[in-house]
Amino acid sequence: MRVRVLAHAQGAAAYAILTALLLVVAFPFYWMFVSSLKSEEQMRSLTAMFWPSPAVLDNYRQLLGKTDFGAWYGNSIVVAVGSTLVATAIGTLGAYALARLKFAGRAFMASATLITYLVPPSILFIPLYAQIRTLGLADSLTGLVAAYPSFTVPFVTWLLMGYFESIPVELEEAAMIDGATRFGAFRRVILPLAAPGVLAAALFAFTQAWNEFLYALVFITNVKLRTLPVGLSTFITGDVYGWGFLMAGAVLTTLPVIAAYTYLQKYMVEGLTAGSVKG
Amino acid sequence: MDQRLRHLAEQLDTGLIARREFLRRAAVVTGGTAAGLAALRTMASGQPKTKLRVWLFKSFVTNANDVLGRQIEAWAKERNVEVEIDWATFGDREPKFVAAIEAGNPPDLAEMHIMGPTRYKAVLRDVSALAGDIARGKGGLLPFAETAMKIDGKFLAVARYSMTTVFFIRRDVMETKGLKPPKVYDPDVVEFARKTQDPSKDLFGFGQTLNRSDDGDGFMENILWDYGGGSWDKDGKPALGTAFRAQNLKALQFAVDTIQKHKIQPPGVMGWTDVSNNEAYMAGKLVTTNNGASLYYAMVTKKHELAPKTQLVLTPGGPGGSFVGSSCYNWAIFAKSKHADLCEDMIRWVEDEKRFGEYLQVSVGQAGPVYKGRVDNPYWKSDPNFEAIVQNIVRSVNYGHPGPLTSAAVEVRAQHILTDMAGRVVVGGLSAEAALKEAHARVEEIHKMRRT
Amino acid sequence: MATPAARLPAAAALRRRGASVAFARALGPDYRLGYLFVAPIVVLVLALVAYPFGYAIYLSMTRKYVGVPPVWVGFDNYVKLTWDGFFQRAVYNSFIFTFGSVGVKLLLGMAMALVLTRRIRFRSFWTGVLLIPWVAPTVVSALNFLWIYDYSLGVLNYLLVKVFHVLPRGVGWLSEPGTAMASVIAVNVWRGFPFFGISFLAGMKAIPAEMYEAAAVDGATALQRFRHVTLPALKNIIVIVVLLSTIWTFNDFTIIYILTKGGPGGATQVLPVLTYEIAFGAQRLGEAIAVALYMLPAMAAVIIVLARYMRKGGAR
Repeated sequence: MRVRVLAHAQGAAAYAILTALLLVVAFPFYWMFVSSLKSEEQMRSLTAMFWPSPAVLDNYRQLLGKTDFGAWYGNSIVVAVGSTLVATAIGTLGAYALARLKFAGRAFMASATLITYLVPPSILFIPLYAQIRTLGLADSLTGLVAAYPSFTVPFVTWLLMGYFESIPVELEEAAMIDGATRFGAFRRVILPLAAPGVLAAALFAFTQAWNEFLYALVFITNVKLRTLPVGLSTFITGDVYGWGFLMAGAVLTTLPVIAAYTYLQKYMVEGLTAGSVKG
Repeated sequence: MDQRLRHLAEQLDTGLIARREFLRRAAVVTGGTAAGLAALRTMASGQPKTKLRVWLFKSFVTNANDVLGRQIEAWAKERNVEVEIDWATFGDREPKFVAAIEAGNPPDLAEMHIMGPTRYKAVLRDVSALAGDIARGKGGLLPFAETAMKIDGKFLAVARYSMTTVFFIRRDVMETKGLKPPKVYDPDVVEFARKTQDPSKDLFGFGQTLNRSDDGDGFMENILWDYGGGSWDKDGKPALGTAFRAQNLKALQFAVDTIQKHKIQPPGVMGWTDVSNNEAYMAGKLVTTNNGASLYYAMVTKKHELAPKTQLVLTPGGPGGSFVGSSCYNWAIFAKSKHADLCEDMIRWVEDEKRFGEYLQVSVGQAGPVYKGRVDNPYWKSDPNFEAIVQNIVRSVNYGHPGPLTSAAVEVRAQHILTDMAGRVVVGGLSAEAALKEAHARVEEIHKMRRT
Repeated sequence: MATPAARLPAAAALRRRGASVAFARALGPDYRLGYLFVAPIVVLVLALVAYPFGYAIYLSMTRKYVGVPPVWVGFDNYVKLTWDGFFQRAVYNSFIFTFGSVGVKLLLGMAMALVLTRRIRFRSFWTGVLLIPWVAPTVVSALNFLWIYDYSLGVLNYLLVKVFHVLPRGVGWLSEPGTAMASVIAVNVWRGFPFFGISFLAGMKAIPAEMYEAAAVDGATALQRFRHVTLPALKNIIVIVVLLSTIWTFNDFTIIYILTKGGPGGATQVLPVLTYEIAFGAQRLGEAIAVALYMLPAMAAVIIVLARYMRKGGAR
């Protein structure tokens, strides 16, 4: 009896915590969404705080019609998808090698993957831009696709290292006994098993790339090649903020990523599961 | 020879020299040799269009940005060149410039604000001839503009327009109380604020932050000058806590008093960023505030209900006079540019009075004059509020006043030394003397570092 | 008997093969595939991380103004910083910001994970929703909160004063030093706790149910089960997540810069903001980089120690 009461109490507590977290998480987005539907006067006047009256689509209409928002969107997609593919490929290969294969220098490289995070991008971008330029990639989306993996690959690698380590060695050994090469075992046996982990890593890399601001600001000068975060920031000019544009743009920028995550998040959890346990 | 021929071809292409002149010079260069003529022939066929990279300042006046963009495109068409324009606004400019310069990849031409020429003097081209020429055609530069553009005796930029701050007053509130615009901060502004505010209705007499921001830094500079003080003496040496110590102390105390003693400011003012006073004023919570003309622009273009109720007046002064600083936006050509002639030509094009007039008409008072000749443009009489803008600009002084505009002075402003000093008193609990001493040490340090 | 001469080439060949075998053994049995697979990472890291990083370290030991060649000053910048009051304050604030944020994120993340392991309806959906702060662009979220925290027009004060009547008048969230730091920490926590939550959730899912059942049979309460089953199993994840988050939070620039720019009166001035200001305000690049790199050795040491701890502690 007491156990049942306790269980109920725990259940109630869980729901309470969940509700609190959801409120905290959702409210700013709700606010952003509601603000995007208000006209400027409404936003300034503190009337109709929690639901616009009337709701207007002006902000969206102007955003899509009068600005290069569409172009920014396309650019962001290109850069995010491109750099994600690159980072995931590089990270997967590297993680497998560091987790499974035995060669000199492996332990050092494994630790070194995380050390790259110590370097703050807010400083690194100056010499990095010079590098990108030397490679002839300045002012191009390719430059960003090349540069973004520099901060996504370490986490992808670390994550997948743990994941690969959790896959039993016996599976590869069995494959190799059957005549497969090491590489063949990797391709046909391990990789399919690692799919959730790879997906989780890819989602992470995509998010980082989608939201990145500083490199995109500095490496790109052609206004047609701007990405979303930089484009949105142009609505802030000194002390005049285009709140309507900003909120509408923010909603549209965040929605696809939210959709992707909501749909794919169970893979993310699965992907992190095996990966994290062994660290 | 190839290089010289290419240069000539570029000039012909862009109409800078006439065809006959081109042929004459080309003949000289090639020496009339068969090889030279052959080179000429191959070049004539495969000359790609010259590309110019131009970085413009994205002002909040979107219409003016459009006008400028269109004018530059028109010029490009005339001269048969390709122009790649990038727009950057207040916050984004500096990282872009620094990264580009360090990577050896600056644009050909950039529109900069007042700190630009001083900061980047190492990589800018000497444009004294051009600047002098343009200034002569427009009646000469206003004193503060000339000081800002002339670094180490040469002009590193061509002045374009200026932005300033003015004192905003709610005319309706003022008239209800039968008051007149205040001329000095102490006691006029204090009295004015006290008589007009109504904190119970969320209306405060004066909204001026001392936080790190353009608004805060500008106000602190002005108030120090207003009390006869300042950070630098006339030789450009640090004077914050030494030569002008007594005056600065009084000024600092006054600034702090507006929040703590006189209570004419809204709570939370120390957390304001540049946009906060705009928002507060437009929400009807402030009777007066200092701000750039951007606030006026925002209200007029959005047909805000307070626009007709707003009066702009000269920034108030103090016992040492009345001072205000303005920013002078300018054109700078990078030394690395291979198309300096074209750049100079473009500058002449957009600064042409007719075209600048076009820009001015849509600027809602943002494009203040920097040339004496432009001060009397009838545009400035089209709105009585513009008078304050013009008068503030004409009497402007620069960072470093009464001394020269040095990189140290620029850095002291950029590092928010003065607002930090005020912050240490209001938020940090330091005494005014201690904060002043601390700030002076920082100014000394910057001065020492920048002297090399 | 074979002539020594005849034996010589064979012996030499054997020795050569022996040498190459020894070489291969030194490199490890999988060295060919291994090096091939890590080659892309190594190239990437060398070109885009190591080289710029090396150049940055060099610059930090110079006096460097924009467009002017660097002038070597050795450790001068670092020495000066050590005695600089503003730098010291930034270090202090960075620690407060980082440990405050990470601490709260740890708790909230754990709560989130515990809640989501239960069998509740639409669990997938809630998990997705709770991830949103982490996937939204930071710039956007920071601006949103700037608007929410606004003294006169912000919804937070509106709620507290006009709706719930908890306070007589609004609070200057970003203008008082005490609330300013707490306010920016709150935004960082809001943005970051889902990462903790999802990582812990993943870890919890990997714990076999039998362990909980065994503990329950032994009469353990929920709290005891948490302490003795859940936490130990999560040990490695907790360490790595806290470590990563500490580094990321320490380097976080956007949130504080957009909300307070380091004010009021320097109350929220942290190292990344200071770096940015010195680099683009004062335009003294050498010093700016020195600020950014100052804490690096300490953090690297922590990483190395923890990485070693985990390699040993985690089952292999």
